[in-house]
Amino acid sequence: MNLIKTLVFVIMPFCIFQKSIAQTVNWETLENSNHIISVGIGWDYSFSYNLGYAYQLKVKTPLLLTANFSIPSGETLLDDFKTKIGAQVLLLDKDNLKGTVVLNGIYRRYENPLVRLHNFGSEFKVTFGYYKSRWFAAGEVGFDKAIVTHFKHSEIFKETIFPDVEDGWYEPATGGNFNYGLLTGYSFKKSDLTFNLGMSITQDFRTTPSIPLYLMLGYNYRLD
Amino acid sequence: MNLKVIVFVGLTFVLLASCEKERYINEPGNLVPKTVVEDPDLPSIAVNGTTLHAQTYGNPNGSMVVFLHGGPGSDYRNGLNVRQLSDDGYYAVFFDQRGTGLSKRHKKSTYSIQLYLDDLTAVIQHYKTSPNQKVFLFGHSWGAMITAAYINKYPDRINGAIFAEPGGFNKQLLDEYAESSRKLNLLSEEANDFFYYDQFLTGRENEHEILDYKMAIASSFYFAEGNKEGIEGPSTFWRNGAIVLEAFTDIAENEGFDFTTDLNQYQTKVLFIYGENNESYGLDFAEKEAAFFPSSEIVQIDNTGHLMIDFKWNAVYPVVLNYLNSLN
Repeated sequence: MNLIKTLVFVIMPFCIFQKSIAQTVNWETLENSNHIISVGIGWDYSFSYNLGYAYQLKVKTPLLLTANFSIPSGETLLDDFKTKIGAQVLLLDKDNLKGTVVLNGIYRRYENPLVRLHNFGSEFKVTFGYYKSRWFAAGEVGFDKAIVTHFKHSEIFKETIFPDVEDGWYEPATGGNFNYGLLTGYSFKKSDLTFNLGMSITQDFRTTPSIPLYLMLGYNYRLD
Repeated sequence: MNLKVIVFVGLTFVLLASCEKERYINEPGNLVPKTVVEDPDLPSIAVNGTTLHAQTYGNPNGSMVVFLHGGPGSDYRNGLNVRQLSDDGYYAVFFDQRGTGLSKRHKKSTYSIQLYLDDLTAVIQHYKTSPNQKVFLFGHSWGAMITAAYINKYPDRINGAIFAEPGGFNKQLLDEYAESSRKLNLLSEEANDFFYYDQFLTGRENEHEILDYKMAIASSFYFAEGNKEGIEGPSTFWRNGAIVLEAFTDIAENEGFDFTTDLNQYQTKVLFIYGENNESYGLDFAEKEAAFFPSSEIVQIDNTGHLMIDFKWNAVYPVVLNYLNSLN
């Protein structure tokens, strides 16, 4: 685990962070856009707000570098959040049929009165769908892995629950959830309205998160 | 600096960092305490095909008061104030129900209401020192529901009962209580405290250490500011039994339950206590549940909520003692 942890620390500064419901874009409308700014709102393990940025690299294979930051709703700002950095690659581009691969590095934080968690994880996702200049619809399947997590328990936890709890980094992977669903959008001028909807299931394919769904309503603005 | 030097420095850094102690989330004793299976020094009894974490206080020949903790899936740690009854001659018996607290874990598919009643029978038999020894049950929340289920089935075995805010003696009452007490504003801090960690930790169905730990850190929801049950703050427990909660939730949803069918045959007076600050319970709910018995007494415990045994024992104690003495 320490090897993984160290590698993650070494690698992370060279990445950008991103999130499970990565920027949903209409690949059919990206031709002359270098920068895409996105905002979103929806359910992603909690009621969450998103802010994202994507940069289109001018290379032979269409490629977006993406960064995303999301926070859940709640009175305490920034005690919980998630950042993602990664890339989306258009690997299949046959007329209006397009398929992409999404890779993200994830850093996320959680805190409640009992514990504070820091986690480094990763996300792999593939999408396949039909894209027109005004709209698109696609399916997506992904896996979100919590690779290493640091636990720091509060005095309340130690006093009322378990005084000998071991704080520190834990491995191997502390969690993993599969996500599958649909994404769609409507494009106009330099904007996209997007919608993601899907389900989550844990890596054993038998249990689910407390609320086993995700949905996100997003807006993209494309800059030249 | 050439590439070889960079690689050497990098590898050295990796090796040094790797010397730190490794920790595994599914290892008992790391994030959750060990159970009686992993730690034989814990007080325990082997009954009905399982091993239960159990303790007693007082004279073994005194009238027995068996404490049944809440949940499903909690443990008896926050009920330990009840041991004060041992100073008054009672034999106070505590045990973590099967699969909860520090008791042995079992597969989800093995749980049933009848199994829990059989466990209780076995615990009473284990500690009973004479056929004429009186047995009282003192149930809190879910434990009070089990108390009702036991009296409903075996009324002749129990000499009296104390019900501290049972969540519902049948499915309809349980739904009524749950709907009132477990309301959650999805935009609140409590909501993301409860749901957000699902992306950090996942446990398979029988990975008890992970699932029990997740349930433990979710417990902050219960004492969040403004909670409907009037819980004053964090309460003590050793270890939750997540699979037990899931199992009995499934049983309630899929099969339903009704522990009231024969309660009207139980002629002994029973005692109901409730916390003044529990907005979801109150006198109305207590009266609904007490009405199943021919003879009952209802007492409000002032300035406390659902966890009155933990937070306001000084007010609970004289009420309980007076009731027990009246039947002893």
